[in-house]
Amino acid sequence: MNIAEYQEKLLDQAIEAGFTETEVYFERKSSFQCMLYEGQIDSYETSEDGGLSLRGLHNGKMGYAYTEKLDDDSISFLINSVKANADVLDEDEGIDIFEGNNEYTPHEFYNEELESIGIPEKIELLLLIEQKIRAYDSRIVTLDYCFLQEYTTERSLANSKNLSLSHKENGLVIYLSTVVKEGEELKTGSYLKMTRDFHSLNADEIAKAAAEEALANLGEKSIPSGKYPIILRSDATASLLSTFMPILSAENAQKDQSLLKGKVGQKVASDALTLLNAPFHPEALSGASFDGEGVATKEQAIILDGTLQTLLHNRKTAKKEGCKTSGHAHKDSYKSTLSIAPQNLYISPGNRSQEELIALVSEGVLITELAGLHSGTNTVSGDFSVAAKGFHIQDGKIASPVKQMTIAGNFFKFLNTIEEISSELFFLPDGYGSPSLLVKELSVTVE
Amino acid sequence: MIKQSVIENVLEAALSTGGDFSEVFIEDKFVNECTLLSGKIEQSISGRDFGIGIRIFSGLQSIYTYTNDFSEEGLLAAAKRAALAIKGGATGTIQPLKKEIITPVHNIIILPNSVAHARKATIMRKANDIARNYDERISQVKVRYLDDEQHVLIANSEGKFVEDTRIYSRLTIQATASEGKETQTGSYGPGAHAGFEFIENLDLEHYAGEAARIAVTMLHADECPSGKFPVIIDNEFGGVIFHEACGHGLEATAVAKNNSVFANRLGEKVAPDIVTYIDDGTLPKEWGSLNIDDEGEKTRKNILIENGILKGYLIDKFNARRMNAEPTGSSRRQSYRFNPTSRMTNTFIAPGTSTPDEIIASTEYGIYAKYMGGGQVNPSTGDYNFAAMEAYIVKDGKIDHPVRGATLIGNGAKTLQLVDRVGNNLAHGAGMCGSISGSLPVNVGQPMIRVSEMTVGGTKGE
Repeated sequence: MNIAEYQEKLLDQAIEAGFTETEVYFERKSSFQCMLYEGQIDSYETSEDGGLSLRGLHNGKMGYAYTEKLDDDSISFLINSVKANADVLDEDEGIDIFEGNNEYTPHEFYNEELESIGIPEKIELLLLIEQKIRAYDSRIVTLDYCFLQEYTTERSLANSKNLSLSHKENGLVIYLSTVVKEGEELKTGSYLKMTRDFHSLNADEIAKAAAEEALANLGEKSIPSGKYPIILRSDATASLLSTFMPILSAENAQKDQSLLKGKVGQKVASDALTLLNAPFHPEALSGASFDGEGVATKEQAIILDGTLQTLLHNRKTAKKEGCKTSGHAHKDSYKSTLSIAPQNLYISPGNRSQEELIALVSEGVLITELAGLHSGTNTVSGDFSVAAKGFHIQDGKIASPVKQMTIAGNFFKFLNTIEEISSELFFLPDGYGSPSLLVKELSVTVE
Repeated sequence: MIKQSVIENVLEAALSTGGDFSEVFIEDKFVNECTLLSGKIEQSISGRDFGIGIRIFSGLQSIYTYTNDFSEEGLLAAAKRAALAIKGGATGTIQPLKKEIITPVHNIIILPNSVAHARKATIMRKANDIARNYDERISQVKVRYLDDEQHVLIANSEGKFVEDTRIYSRLTIQATASEGKETQTGSYGPGAHAGFEFIENLDLEHYAGEAARIAVTMLHADECPSGKFPVIIDNEFGGVIFHEACGHGLEATAVAKNNSVFANRLGEKVAPDIVTYIDDGTLPKEWGSLNIDDEGEKTRKNILIENGILKGYLIDKFNARRMNAEPTGSSRRQSYRFNPTSRMTNTFIAPGTSTPDEIIASTEYGIYAKYMGGGQVNPSTGDYNFAAMEAYIVKDGKIDHPVRGATLIGNGAKTLQLVDRVGNNLAHGAGMCGSISGSLPVNVGQPMIRVSEMTVGGTKGE
């Protein structure tokens, strides 16, 4: 079925069925992924899928429903479900369907060349990387993940107020996990690379980085548990930032679920910290020129030199506070209701390299990976206690890898104790980015 | 859902380049999700997930493709596109499809999709009221209701043709307690492979009351000390520790390629005599149960560790090839979007003989983890971590005072060797388990157990 026709038919029938305003959101994705194991293709996957959701105002309340089966039956399923879901709500959201902005920043999120390069060429590259890693050092046992994924996603949003927006993006992600062994000691190290520019991928560089990441973990030692100055590497910081993003949501603040409630204009972090929302950042793979409600997105500082500039708003939370939306309505997919999220949130880099930061520390710990973030963090209180991998720093140099650790602290306090920020910026595929940070101290427990 | 003749054509097209096995997985799923926050039903969404996954094996290579295009042309094109990944062989043949009738084990009384939203909302409000009335310091309550009705059809080139319907119901209650600057949360999320009757018969006083009690208790809990201590982990969701520490390492996903500390160790002693570890997908109405797995195999009771001896692994059809073993009815996937692999269902430590009172009384100093949060493991190394939601210091054989921020870390194979007490109060808890074939409902379970030494990471220092 033709999507544009289906959308139009659905919008019309929804208005006929008694909705005052409606919106149809559509998403289509095609992807290819492959996994290698010891020189062979272990798994190979292609897909073409998508779905469509209907959002509509019924008796002043906003209902939601979605389907992945686009047939005539689904039109009545959507309309009836949206009504039932609107009717069960206890209050109207106080929000309507958005009529659109006058201008949207044009930006290219799609690289045609990436899609035009054949699948065999991409597999060749992955095979070459795997081969180079396995040949890199005799202590390398195997790769427990050797994975490449390429995707193209299209989204469109059309509503009964004649707003019609569309977005197309693509990207390629390589994920490698290398297993190394020396004597009885078994360690892994993971490596992630993402790009829209296939020709920027260099097999030698990737193989070296992935192999070194794992090998560095061999020779672990225990150090006494206690409080240490911490250098939190860029990728680990980005994952911590991603986990604590909900504290920036105006919706959470309004529901007493964020301690940043009422703190706009106040100091919430050390002077060193500037946190930016950057929908068009060239190093991130995500981003968009409109948000989940169709509001134009923009570059903006969320925290500037330690002072909170704004919380993340959608139209509903903005209306509640009598301010303008910051353009942060978020739709995870057609399967979700509207929530709040940034478009590429990153900590602004400083001037010194990570190595120079390490040189500043006489005794401390470099943390390179955090685990258990979904269970060991409390975004309401800010407390975290999570598993960590890393290295002992002595006299400004890396001394040895440390046995499995946990680091514990409070995120709000953490923000206030950032002393230095490095110059290397790293983005996760979900759009959270950071350089490495030097923080005053965290509790470290060593196995 | 799709005509048998179309399925046959797709299975055949998938073998056109020399594949030796093909499979079609068709899913049609209806979901309802509703959230109550700040005393109000504030979100409600319904949906229909529909799609087809096609899988081809060629020796030790697995090819997977999925689509929502259910037209015959669309499906044939997808099958042929997938088949292109195999480099030229003779066209394979398929066995005639033989419809298998399964006898459902999980008697569903009320189909959730037939229940009006208002009736679901009533129960959510009741849970909210109970949690709010527990204590005046309860400042926020979030109740999530979820139901799933998943129809699956699985057919393969070996002649398998089987359909099943799975119904899931779950209610999750999260309570937040606040006083001054302190804020803590507690949660409980009972779920079952059952209809709306499960939700209506839930002991809300218990579940909502416990969520609130945990939040309030943790409000004035001391910071947890760091160090190595004996750790007592209570029953039910406490089983998450062995789910992480050893369950994942027994999945063929890790074992087939020797990426597990438990690989090639069948018949070896991997735990003390008192430890027996079982995965049982047949338990009636349990959250992790299934009539058939996602390859159409009947689920079964798999004994993984018996009296400390490693007896078996959880094996799917593909890894069975590499391992030269039989599948164990353990192949699962979140949806048609995932290539299935070996996963846990309801996994638990069998009951022992100690009473919970005896276990606590025999502990001079240690940590008692009453309720666990989630955790994670690296199956290659066995290093795991998980968080305790409600924990206490045990002193001189008595539960002393609550502590918070306790994270337990260690190595699965080593921790398993250190289990020195197994209680007699087996119970199961519902959770979601994320791994390469997606997020799946699983039960974790155990009686109260004690580990003689674990590393506890806390905020207090040593």
